[in-house]
Formats: sequence, C-alpha cells, structure tokens
Amino acid sequence: MADKPKAGFYGFTGCAGCLLTILNCEDELLDIFNAADVKSFLMANRANFEDEPLDVAFIEGSITTEEQLEKLKKIREKSKIVVAIGTCSCYGGVQAMYFGDGNFEKRWKQVYGEGKIELTEAFESKPIDEFVKVDFYLPGCPIDKKQFLEFYSQLVRGIPPRLPHYPVCAECKWNENECLLMKGKLCLGPITRGGCNARCPSDNVPCVGCFGPADEVNINSEMKLLLERNYSREEIIRRIRTFAGASFVRQFSKLLGEEAKK
Amino acid sequence: MRVFKMRKEDLREYLESLKKVGELWAPVRKGDKFVYDKIDDVDKVELKALRTILPPKKFFIPQRNTVLKYRLNNEYADPVEEVPFRILFGLHPCDINGLLILDRIYLERFPDPLYKKRRENTAIIGLSCVPDEKCLGKSTNTHYVEEGFDIALTDLDDKYLVWVSSSLGDDLVRYRIDLFDENITEDDMKQYVSWRNWRDSQYKLYYDLTGMPDIMVLSWDSPLWEELADDCLSCGMCSMVCPTCPCYNVKDITELSSDEGERIRYWDSCMYREFALVAGGHNFREARAERIKLWYTHKLKSFGHEFGKPACVGCGRCIDTCPADINVARVIKALKGEEVKV
Repeated sequence: MADKPKAGFYGFTGCAGCLLTILNCEDELLDIFNAADVKSFLMANRANFEDEPLDVAFIEGSITTEEQLEKLKKIREKSKIVVAIGTCSCYGGVQAMYFGDGNFEKRWKQVYGEGKIELTEAFESKPIDEFVKVDFYLPGCPIDKKQFLEFYSQLVRGIPPRLPHYPVCAECKWNENECLLMKGKLCLGPITRGGCNARCPSDNVPCVGCFGPADEVNINSEMKLLLERNYSREEIIRRIRTFAGASFVRQFSKLLGEEAKK
Repeated sequence: MRVFKMRKEDLREYLESLKKVGELWAPVRKGDKFVYDKIDDVDKVELKALRTILPPKKFFIPQRNTVLKYRLNNEYADPVEEVPFRILFGLHPCDINGLLILDRIYLERFPDPLYKKRRENTAIIGLSCVPDEKCLGKSTNTHYVEEGFDIALTDLDDKYLVWVSSSLGDDLVRYRIDLFDENITEDDMKQYVSWRNWRDSQYKLYYDLTGMPDIMVLSWDSPLWEELADDCLSCGMCSMVCPTCPCYNVKDITELSSDEGERIRYWDSCMYREFALVAGGHNFREARAERIKLWYTHKLKSFGHEFGKPACVGCGRCIDTCPADINVARVIKALKGEEVKV
C-alpha cells in the first residue's frame, strides 16, 4: 500500500456522469482501485478520508457556490496533482453556456425570483481553473472511458500522460466518415478536441463540441464556413457556447468580435 | 508484363473465386462517397467508384496500430501481427502511384518491417478509371501505372484488358485461367489506344508542373501562405486522406492491471501545432502559415529533389475533403500566377 499513489475522486456541480463513467469501467474496476490508494470517492466508498494528503485529485463538476469553492481550495492544497475531469470541471459545462455575458443576475431572478439561499452563497457556474491551478484536463461530456483508463494508467505510474491535441476531424477521418461540415451540417468537429473517437459524426450526428476546444482552433474560418452554410451567427455561437462555456469567452469571443467587424 | 483479356461478365465470377484465395477488399459505397471495405457480397463492389475517402495506405500503415509490446522492466518484443493475405481490388492508377511513393519512404531508406510484411502479404489489382472534375492525375503524370501492381484491368467497352506484372499476379490469373484469353488482336490494341485518347481528354483539371520545385523555392515568402492560413482549420484531414502523407505519432500505453504495455503509432499531420513542438517548448513551425507551406513543399518540391517526382499523385482527395478549399489545385494555380477564386 505504501508505494501506491493516494487518490481522491470528487464531484461538484454536474450530473455525476463522469464519476459514473469511471464506476462503469466494470472489467477494470478492481484494477482502478488496486492501482491507487483511493482515499475518497463518495459514490463508491463507504469510508472516506479527507484529512490525508493526496498525490492526485480527480475533480468533476463546476463551481457554483462559496461552500464548493472552500472545499475545492482544500482539495488543491492537499493534492500534488489536480485533474479536471469532464467538461463541467474543465470549462464550466452546459450550466456555464452563458458564462461571462453579464446577465447572471437576471437569470437568477427568472428562476428563483426573490428567493434566497441560506446555506451558502451561489454564483455563476465556473470551471475549477477559475479558482485553482489545474495540472491536467480530461474533457468530455461525459469523459471517454477508454481515454480515462489510458490516462489513469500512466498517471498512477508517474508517467506523464498525453492527451489528444488534435480536433475531432482526425479521428473522424480515421473512421472514414463522410464530412458532415461538407454536407452542410453545423458540425463543430474542426474546433473540438479529439479523444472521443468521433463518436457522434461516426453515427452521422454532427459534433456538438462536448470535449471543448482543440489546442489550436481557427474560429473565424469555422464561423465563415458555417455562415456560408446559412446558419445564423446567433445559432452558431449558441452551439459553440453550449459546451465550450468559459473557454468560449477565453479563446473565441475576442476573435469573433474582430471577425464581426470585418 | 503479360496481357490477357477478360469478358466483362466474367469479372463477377473471378472476384468470387478470389475470395477463396484471400480476403477480398474493394471500393463500396458509403453515403455519397466510397470506401475500401472487406467484400463478402461481390455485388457490392463499385466498379465505377470515384476516389475512396481514405487511400489504400490504410492497409499498410493503419490509422492506429501496435508497433511493439513491452514490459516496464525494459523487455520488449515485436508484435505478432497476424495480417491475412489480402487482395485489394479496384485501385486506380493514382493510388498505385501513391503506394509506390510510400514504398520509397517505408521500404528504402528506413525499412519498416510492419509495412514490408503487409505489403508482401497483399495483392494489388488495379482498375482503370475515368476522371471527374477533381482529378489531377494527368498533371502529375500518375494516370497510368507501369509497376506497383500485380494485375491491372483496363475497362474497354465490352471487355477488360488484363495486365499481369508480377509472378503473384500470374498465379492469380492462372488460378482461373479459364476466364482469361491470351489471344490479343490488333483490334484490341486499337480499341485500347482509342480508349487512352478518349480517357486522357476527360481531365478537366490540368496544370503544367514543369519546374514546380523552382516555383516553390521562389515562393518561400509569398503572401499566399498567410492567405491560406486565414482559412485553414488545422483539422489535419488533408494529411489523413493524402495517399502520400506518411507521418505518424507514437505513444506508449501501459496496461492498468500489469506492467505490460503497447507502443501505438497513429496517423499524424504536420498541420497540427504539436507536430513540430520539441522538448523545452520550442516549436519549429508555430505559425499555421509555416505548416501549410511545409505541407505543400513536401508535395511539390522536396520529394521531387529526393526522388525525382512530385509527392502529389493527383487523386483529388484534398480537393474533395478540405472544408476550407485549400488543396493542391488552388496552391498550384496561385503560385503560377493564375487568378484564384477564394
């Protein structure tokens, strides 16, 4: 037990689908728990130990309350490595699709009226790296089981894991699919990080961008191509924002603003 | 080279027989496109197929495969790759020329045992084609083949001319010699020549590529590369579909349950920023324009310097694939000073 890295699995605001994906690795479940000394995994363990330092913390979900933020900071302090798993944790998730538009208060009122939350203070949904340093990002909605296992296997052995830098188009072509963008569909494959084995386009469903942006994205060219295919600017931005969340604002909005001026 | 002829109605039976010799792979329809697929039902074979989405390079350097197996204590072993004997049917001349280019890279300078084994274990049966508006084969002089196949069929109206270019090809013909006729007449020859003239007149795209390497050198600082970079999505699809793009990346995947692992190689593209990223964070081609220039330099210049011909075989896949309309035809046109519609 002494040699094994100490790991913790945590969930904040999200559907818990990423943690569930890990638990759904039925054939590998014993290996996952044997490879590390799992100190905390609420969904899987009865006994969890929150006072011990960790080698690696896997964190699902976005941060939406002060209470979560405190907990997140504590996890960061006691962990050598923090891995954001899933699109909520990496980019804020669908609950952050309007991230940074300045209308959070308005939306809050629409849902809760004048209602107050007593337990903690709630705020606009944000990815964990708005608050703490993140060492690795494992995106996906949910994460890809195979990719998680590869990643986990390297990490617990102290080998730096490598995640795909290329967009969905690479794997889509490996699978020899017809290009949906070329067929006039609103496909976000060219701007979305690969690693899902082009799951949706391989079933003839355009990519919705659930893995977030790829390393290098030419958002202006993607926008131009989609506008040429008669999608409205609002529709395109809404589609990109759905999963890109905070990264939309960080990576794209300035570029698209420039594009709009042209 | 021996020549036979075969009645068209006998091809079906011949393909049926070939299935007993090995796995038969041929173009089949996929949506509006074509792909090489394993053939169980020979009626699915598309004899009039245009370019397949992926070129036949996928048979020799698969999209993703294991190159060695290891243990974390430094032991390693070559993978035991069981590749069945395959017969690839229906390769057009451009794709056969593409394989000849991959051969230079994978068999000559740095012989690749996995590629070699797969190449030796595969029979190539070519099939003549009629170009569409994206075919550049006449410009790249890859619209005919003289080597690189075992058998090649030329589709004349009522029959196929059957060119046999290897002893394996000869065996495959002998296997059903009853379907082949060695009695080539003067009329057959005339029919063939007239077919050539007609077929060669069907190319809608034609560029004079003489001196293209020089033009590439002189275009090093051309504003073209920046213009293309504005459009390029960096999606890498051009590399995936190009019959002569040979590059791959490598990663090790260790099993979770043991100390055994596999070294995997998978197709890569020099269009990706990570491609030229080295330890320490330096990137030799940080700018997208630099990467596009490299890609086209490889196709139109460098390969020519080393091997005496361009690395573009004119298959038209980049024209057919790139959503942003960046392709060999556009680059050649732009560099040769012809007006380019963007």
